Amino acid sequence: MKRKFEHPAAPASELTTGPRYWRSLDELADTPGFRAQVEREFPEGAASLQGVDRRHFFKLMAASFALGGIGLAAGCRRPEENILPYGKSVEGIIPGLPQYFATAMPLRRGAIPLLAETHQGRPTKLEGNPSYARYGGATTLRAQASLLELYDPDRATAHTLKGAPADLAAVNQLLAAINTTYAANQGAGLAFLAEPSTSPSRARMVAVLRQKFPSAVWAEYDPTPDESTASAAAIYGRPSLKPVYHLDKARRILSLDADFLQEGPHALAYARDFAKGRRVTSQDDAPNMNRLYVVESNFTITGSMADHRLRVASGEILMVAAGLAGKVAIDPFAKPTLPAAFQNLSGWIDVCLQDLMQHKGASLVIAGAHQPAEVHHLVHALNVALGNYGHTVNLAQLPGEDLPAAIGDLATAITAGSVKTLVILGGNPAYNAPADLAFATLAKKVPDVVRLGYYADETSQVAGTHLGAAHYLESWGDARTADGTIVPVQPMILPLFNGLTELEVIARIAGEPVTDPYAIVRESFQQRVGGDAEKAFRKFLHDGMQENTYWLPAEVPAVDTVAVTDLVSGFKAPAALSEGNLEVRFVADLKVDDGRFANNGWLQECPDPINKLTWDNAISISPKLGKALGIDPKGTLLQVARVELSEMDRGREFAFVGELTLADGKKIKGPLHIQPGLANWTVILPLGYGRTAAGRVGNDTGHNFYPARTGAAPHFVAGAKLAVVPGERYELGTTQEHWSMEGRDLVREANLEEVTQAGGAGLAFVKRESLEEPGAILGEVGEKLTPAERATEIPRGNSLYVTPKFDGVHQWGMSIDLNTCIGCNACVVACQAENNIPIVGKDQVMRGRVMHWIRLDRYYADGDASAAAFGGEGNREIPEDPQSIVQPVACQHCELAPCEMVCPVNATVHDPEGINTMAYNRCIGTRYCANNCPYKVRRFNYFDFNKRSIDSLYLGPLGPSGMPELAKLAKNPEVTVRMRGVMEKCTYCIQRVQLAKIAQKRVAGSTDEVEVPDGTIKTACQQVCPVEAIVFGNIKDPKSAVSQAKAREQDYALLGYLNIRPRTTYLGKLRNPNPAMPGYAALPFSRQEFNAKNHPPGFKEEAPEPKAPEAKPVTGKTALAPGQMLGGLS
Amino acid sequence: MSKLFPKSANRLPLQLVIYLGVLGGIASAGINYYATNKYANVGYAPVQPVPYSHALHAGQLGIDCRYCHSNVEKSGFANLPTAQTCMNCHTQVKADSPLLAVVRKSYETDSSTWRREEVVPSLPADRKAAASGETVPWVQIHMLPDYVYFNHSVHVTRGISCVECHGRIDQMDVVGQAKSLSMGFCLDCHRAPEEHLRDLGDPAQMVTKLDWTHPSGEAGQLKQGLDLVKKLDIRPPTSCSGCHR
Repeated sequence: MKRKFEHPAAPASELTTGPRYWRSLDELADTPGFRAQVEREFPEGAASLQGVDRRHFFKLMAASFALGGIGLAAGCRRPEENILPYGKSVEGIIPGLPQYFATAMPLRRGAIPLLAETHQGRPTKLEGNPSYARYGGATTLRAQASLLELYDPDRATAHTLKGAPADLAAVNQLLAAINTTYAANQGAGLAFLAEPSTSPSRARMVAVLRQKFPSAVWAEYDPTPDESTASAAAIYGRPSLKPVYHLDKARRILSLDADFLQEGPHALAYARDFAKGRRVTSQDDAPNMNRLYVVESNFTITGSMADHRLRVASGEILMVAAGLAGKVAIDPFAKPTLPAAFQNLSGWIDVCLQDLMQHKGASLVIAGAHQPAEVHHLVHALNVALGNYGHTVNLAQLPGEDLPAAIGDLATAITAGSVKTLVILGGNPAYNAPADLAFATLAKKVPDVVRLGYYADETSQVAGTHLGAAHYLESWGDARTADGTIVPVQPMILPLFNGLTELEVIARIAGEPVTDPYAIVRESFQQRVGGDAEKAFRKFLHDGMQENTYWLPAEVPAVDTVAVTDLVSGFKAPAALSEGNLEVRFVADLKVDDGRFANNGWLQECPDPINKLTWDNAISISPKLGKALGIDPKGTLLQVARVELSEMDRGREFAFVGELTLADGKKIKGPLHIQPGLANWTVILPLGYGRTAAGRVGNDTGHNFYPARTGAAPHFVAGAKLAVVPGERYELGTTQEHWSMEGRDLVREANLEEVTQAGGAGLAFVKRESLEEPGAILGEVGEKLTPAERATEIPRGNSLYVTPKFDGVHQWGMSIDLNTCIGCNACVVACQAENNIPIVGKDQVMRGRVMHWIRLDRYYADGDASAAAFGGEGNREIPEDPQSIVQPVACQHCELAPCEMVCPVNATVHDPEGINTMAYNRCIGTRYCANNCPYKVRRFNYFDFNKRSIDSLYLGPLGPSGMPELAKLAKNPEVTVRMRGVMEKCTYCIQRVQLAKIAQKRVAGSTDEVEVPDGTIKTACQQVCPVEAIVFGNIKDPKSAVSQAKAREQDYALLGYLNIRPRTTYLGKLRNPNPAMPGYAALPFSRQEFNAKNHPPGFKEEAPEPKAPEAKPVTGKTALAPGQMLGGLS
Repeated sequence: MSKLFPKSANRLPLQLVIYLGVLGGIASAGINYYATNKYANVGYAPVQPVPYSHALHAGQLGIDCRYCHSNVEKSGFANLPTAQTCMNCHTQVKADSPLLAVVRKSYETDSSTWRREEVVPSLPADRKAAASGETVPWVQIHMLPDYVYFNHSVHVTRGISCVECHGRIDQMDVVGQAKSLSMGFCLDCHRAPEEHLRDLGDPAQMVTKLDWTHPSGEAGQLKQGLDLVKKLDIRPPTSCSGCHR
């Protein structure tokens, strides 16, 4: 008997209230095009071959069969393959088993300690080094993706002198010649431009260099802001101080334009600490949850986690800071007079401040690194007044080194003609230096430019000499994490293309006798440790860190009360922003950084956490500005036009193009993306795109906004105007519209007050909210079972489907904590690296063919559920200030998996341990499974993405085929590389599960101890997660971490009412708003919308009771009367 | 009737028989060559670069399998010996044999164990030439498709002998494939492990003793196997995820 599931019938009122849990502007507007799309299995067109009709297709196929026939003679026969053993046995290498080495990814102002997995000498996966407890084994998405750079076929593969390839000997000669030329005159005429670095060895070599060439210029440049720049740190009295936060001890946090969860070198530690204060495991634990206030202009990840978020332009942050500081203590501070337009913020500031004051010593105020020194000064005063130093924030004492020159000083020297030889070490100043310097032109004035770079990029084009740099996985080096801990950078492989390290180049120019980077690092260590350091050095390399080398807390300088009073009382409001006076904010892109990762396909294809764009950046504007420009999707007339123009279609966003005119008259063009949650008159320009010499992947993706950025105002500037370019459109590739779940109560959330109040539902609010629970279907028998029992003794309930036998030793399951997930996307890239997931390119993304096995659904909710908002003539404006929620979704491994029932060839079946397996070699590509998957998590290989480059997918059988040799090295040998025409999806990292089971059986030998101990297996997404939101393990073992997570009251199953019993379940999200805050809402916006949708006022009296779906017997105590849910909640 | 059929038609039956015979021959040769499972290639015994005799080394001399395939208990791959392993004996025995020239060359030119100081780019040209790193190109015999992940270690450490898949290697002068290694072959055993399990507590039953069979015959093996299945909690995977990842 065939049974058809209906989603819970929408009450009649839905027609007027509509789905209010929306993912994109079109969904909110509920356009016909969107409706059509969500009802499809894949986005429209995803399944059709472009420009090929049936007739043409058969012609092509005939040709390929003919070719196949020729190929048979050579290709089909079993190839003779060789096994090539080593000549001499290598210590530690066992063919078939990976080796792990400690190393670190150096950042400009920190480092990420890593364990690199290598297979016979080639690194295939990077994981965080758990020895470094601050990061606990977590890494960022960029660190995950940095592996791909090592195997990038576009990287510089040769050194070139004046355009001609040169060997190492010639390069060494050149470097020695620089030394001899400038040895005579103390280095006058020699200049260096490098990136900031934390490496103690580099600091040592630079000191040597400066000593030998005292007249040489050593400049450093980095386009991203630094929290310890001289200007910001000067307020602490010494430039070598920088704040280090301890968010786990903070119960009230105020961020002033600081995206501390994602931006900055220490974001991993801050995210982990923040999650510690955020996680609620039990009812007793609930009151300890922290509260986050965010004041910001952009909509950041940190902002999306905020309990109270205030949208204020970056230039107005000073006003908020002054408003706060002025009230901390009336004496000696004077109260600033806020401009009239901001009087209404006064209440917000008062309540926030009061809350902070009630948590003295357990509160924290953080200012964004890009904010001017005045803001940092006031924040310092605030943290002192709140008694936070020594508790939630410390000042780290950085080693007092000679400060490098700024790029502006270097430019002055070049203009004066005093630079004869310029050595550019890393970076890409020709692309990302402030536009007013015109660095590319400037560099041409220097007779001799030597450039060390990983890519032959824009800067290499203006340099006469390009030296190929080694990847950090090919180099010896050292670095310091953002808290000062010294970590080694060990090579995993010899330089593939004879690349040089920065250390070696500096040492050769300095004329040092020792130029081997290993020897330099060893010597630095020797100087630090002293004595016979060999044993300590081996430990250093083994552990991947030198213990107790973090920066010591410095004495906190007293607040300069006079200066603070002056700042507060003398506060002058900036000119009010408006449509004619926009603020422009430059931000480094979350994926490609300042442009350095532009040629990294994994990062390019990873959707932006907030706006979900891939392969592109866009000028983000607020809904209010969009409305002022007349491009917002609002109003009946526009609605008609929009259907024809189809703003969003198959993952394409047909963006309007805008022209931004800055105060200095400079104009830049770019696509306009309306982003809810931005400050009204702030325009966000993400940097890092529009590269011209990045490589085949990164060239011509997105737009370059660096030309608008000047040295005087590198981070934000007011006075801009924006105009829509008439008639011009630009297609943005977005994953936002794909795989929509039609806006029900997918993410369940509650305010903390509701959880803690007496007589409330407590943490079981997730069950109270709706009927979507397997327990309800299992009936009373199922209710009584523990999760562990339920995993093996599945009651049939009313199901017709014969349940598979779950008689394995383990029963695997996963729990995802939505309360701590910050939506950083690291899991997406980690999964891609672990599971050999290909990239598909912007064109394919726009056809809805993204291959990521795990995706992060980002929902918006604004709570403004006016009944007339949908369908009728009512309010259709895009909410300006929504709440945002993320939900990671991968294959849920349903026990009664709908995909399995429809597969005609049994390619997807269950194993006895509860994993929904996928046998690629059986799959014939009917895609029925994807059609029947309620979570839309299955991915289909429309092309041989692994074998064909993304620009030649449509060339057919005659196109170039085959994976580049270099790219092959990056593949995980434990995972099949899938071919065209097969379906794939999350496997719970089956390779890790199997290898752990095998290892355990090996240990068990002649005993029966075959159960894998809890915690042995970590899936790739779990391993990388900085907030430990993902837990995986054996749910048959009631003591396992995953069982305990699932036993928590907030546990719920996504679309549980379908009775497919997913093995992945979610923990509901909590918000902790301040009841005293103006505009406090007793329910999270999404809950308000859920209630408004399902239970409009007067529901009982007027609307008929919704008919329960046929397949969903609602019985016993689990049945909730529709009104019951509302009791005490609204 | 002669109006209807010319005289040459009398030869038609014979022609047909020859035609069909030739056609059938080509077809069966073609099917055998192209369409049969090559992992089920029983009897495949390619010529190896060194005429190494397992019958001599493992059979007559009684060298344990794990002397050369040393990581078989640790890794998924049963490694082939490095040239160094061969040279442990062959520096003394048959040290000058021309048959071992390939092995000696591999041993002498290998660069994988060099100290890092010796591999820095400043390496002199003559040292580089010496580091050509030639290896012995053994031809793979037992080959599974790339989507199959077989793991040696878990089999041998739980009591499955080498002989179950590889046959009597100790009697082979030239090693060839003895069993089909098809999925059916794997599943036959995974569904009835008791027919093959050895008791690792008994030294006589060591997995590398290829000639061992249960003294009480099949019934004894079955009884012992069933006991072991229970005692060791043996549940060989029979689902896709066991071998396909």
